[in-house]
Amino acid sequence: MFWRTLNERNPNRVALRLALHRRRLTQVLSAAAVPAPQHRRFFLFPVSRTQKLGRFSSALHLRWLLGTDPEAQPRKKPETSKLLVMDHHLASDSPQVRPRWRKVAYGGMQPGFDDNHTDESFLEGMVMNANVVRRDMLKVMLDSVSISEYLCIVALVVLVWTYTLESTIDESRLLCIDVSLLVLGFLILLFTQEKISLSILVHHYFLNISFFIMGLYVLAPIYQTLTRSISSDSIWALTVSLLVIHLFLHDYSESTVNAPGALKNPALTSCISVNASVVASVFIASRLPSRLHVFAIMLFSLQVFLFGPLVTYCIKKYSFRLHLCFSISLMVVTLRFVYMLHCLLFVLLLSLLVFVNVVCPYWLIRIQEYKFEINGPWDEAKLCFAITD
Amino acid sequence: MDRKKHRIMMVSDFFYPNFGGVENHIYYLSQCLLKLGHKVVVVTHAYENRSGVRYMTGGLKVYYVPWRPFVMQNSFPTLFPSLPIIRTILIRERITIVHGHQAFSTLCHEALMHSRTMGYRVVFTDHSLYGFSDAGSIHMNKVLQFTLADVSQAICVSHTSKENTVLRSGLPPEKVFVIPNAVDTAMFKPAVVQPSRSEIVIVVISRLVYRKGADLLVEVIPDVCRLHPNVRFIVGGDGPKRVRLEEMREKHSLQDRVEMLGAVPHAQVRSVLISGHIFLNSSLTEAFCIAILEAASCGLLTVSTRVGGVPEVLPDDMIILAEPDPGDMVLAIERAISMLPKVDPQVMHHRMRELYNWHDVAKRTEIVYDRALKCPNQNLLERLSRYLYCGVWAGKLFFLVMIVDFLFWRLLELWQPAEDIEEMPDLTLPHISNKETLQETE
Repeated sequence: MFWRTLNERNPNRVALRLALHRRRLTQVLSAAAVPAPQHRRFFLFPVSRTQKLGRFSSALHLRWLLGTDPEAQPRKKPETSKLLVMDHHLASDSPQVRPRWRKVAYGGMQPGFDDNHTDESFLEGMVMNANVVRRDMLKVMLDSVSISEYLCIVALVVLVWTYTLESTIDESRLLCIDVSLLVLGFLILLFTQEKISLSILVHHYFLNISFFIMGLYVLAPIYQTLTRSISSDSIWALTVSLLVIHLFLHDYSESTVNAPGALKNPALTSCISVNASVVASVFIASRLPSRLHVFAIMLFSLQVFLFGPLVTYCIKKYSFRLHLCFSISLMVVTLRFVYMLHCLLFVLLLSLLVFVNVVCPYWLIRIQEYKFEINGPWDEAKLCFAITD
Repeated sequence: MDRKKHRIMMVSDFFYPNFGGVENHIYYLSQCLLKLGHKVVVVTHAYENRSGVRYMTGGLKVYYVPWRPFVMQNSFPTLFPSLPIIRTILIRERITIVHGHQAFSTLCHEALMHSRTMGYRVVFTDHSLYGFSDAGSIHMNKVLQFTLADVSQAICVSHTSKENTVLRSGLPPEKVFVIPNAVDTAMFKPAVVQPSRSEIVIVVISRLVYRKGADLLVEVIPDVCRLHPNVRFIVGGDGPKRVRLEEMREKHSLQDRVEMLGAVPHAQVRSVLISGHIFLNSSLTEAFCIAILEAASCGLLTVSTRVGGVPEVLPDDMIILAEPDPGDMVLAIERAISMLPKVDPQVMHHRMRELYNWHDVAKRTEIVYDRALKCPNQNLLERLSRYLYCGVWAGKLFFLVMIVDFLFWRLLELWQPAEDIEEMPDLTLPHISNKETLQETE
């Protein structure tokens, strides 16, 4: 390990270059980043695009820029100790054999070494960027398609709500939409889940859904009169904020409502998002004139919010291509309907989709270059077993 | 060689009447420095009724500044209002060096900041390991960068801790000294009559929290009890995970083989230790484990997890290391049980007396103080430019904070001049003049 000054343009600056040739290195990062002169920053060197991803060991250069340090000990100190050792090897008649420095804390001061002696094995156990995933622009854009797909689903739901509140759609058409969505959802589930047979479908899903629909129908009068005393403005404001919370906290990678046989419990944030969407649906439903309206819109909203993610998750798991086609057609359909509704909303939705699909992946890839994850013997140990309370 | 005598102010949120690693370190180090002829003053916050100035053994003066602890024994982080009282103490006691302890202590950071503003030399000792990636650690590391941007010297308690501190704060490694803790071997002596080896007793004394590996204990104890019918456990300590241990006892019907003592007061730790043969430490992270030293001083063989600075603490024949995995720990305990006949507690105790000694720690700290005093004292502009390198926005913020601190200090100099603060005369206590005889009998 050697220390030397780097930046001759500014003689007041002292740069530490740490050259590590270690067995447990993880990634090759080749040089290029030029530091801004005023700021102390840790940075890595971005990978050249031609290099293969994966882990292989090589020299890793870490540049730290520090401020002036005139009272630092003269950096001869590590070299003097090296010189002493070299002298020991060169001088044939020197009787003193200085013992090697050991990384131990017992026994007091080690003879021949100061307490601030920095050995060559300093930071030997440091592992950098062990868990960092190297991302490809195309892959990130394809992954962001699931986010924009869900945004379009929510936009469609809001569309249906708007049309229902304006009485453009009447209750019978809404009920038709509900039934067709249900049937479509079942067909997709049947098609995409190989493990599922018709009997499981009937027992598990069909019965539960029928109970659910009956319960909704019975409770529809309650929803109708729930928010009668609240003014409409508050309702619209609350609904918009709840939908924003729902979109923020939604679990885009998996489905909160699980297929039978799922392993993990849903996280807290995804439960909050489901609740937010349900409450938003209830608020909207309470503004409608008749019981049948309320039942139809509640059924529609809950179908989409509770079972929509499950369906899209099954499609994604079954075939990525199908998922991609489905998402793109959904986006096109949504944009067309929103355009028919209002021009400004169309522009907003389009810019949001472009932001999510193009701008965000690019931004992520750009700042990923500066990722600097340090692991070493000082880390808290992770338990390899689950704690069952 | 007649060394210059320093006047040291130790500052930290953690001190007596609390017991812990940092508290004991400050106390023992102060006592040994007093014996070497230096003057030591400790500054900490008030504990319940204990507020004001107290004197401890050997003339150690402790200022319990009347602030209440805010969260987790730390005082409330007020940036500038602590300047007047710190300034008064520094001038009154004619301090030459300020020594702060523990990165988690807000009082330490503030005192170091004010001392640097006033031009005193500053030494910082870090006692713990921290990570880099969670929100709490990121903030703590930023605050540490601020404090250590302008520190004279730094001390760490183990080599792993030095690597961790250097990475977190960006200090040059030559500025960091490694001076480990030690143990009071006079207090931790092995039992005169050894407990019988027909039944092997494994002792665990720790806070029962996640960090100290209480979940590992829950997995390890039933396995060991099953494999070795002659092994008994004594678990001392309290904490949120105690419930899990009690449940484990009930589930495997180990009530007669696992004894839970609850919280053990510091004075009784020795009596619990000498009733056992093996000491088990299962922590998930440790910069330097003093509990292991206490156990080794009492003649117990140690089994510990290989984390942090623990591999550096004891030689290989006094400790058996295992990965923090229940299977590996059970194997390590088996090895310890097989090694037990070759272990002689008195021999181990005598070896510990050679290996760890608080007077040695004090002498090495004295070298650090001498080195700190040799550092040139820079003028304000040069010092301020170091803070700018702490980050894009943070650097400018720290710069502003130090400027305001400097202006406040100047205001105080006008308003409450240093000449008006009465300086404390040195009290020579009778036993200090007999320090030669005391050192001989040590």
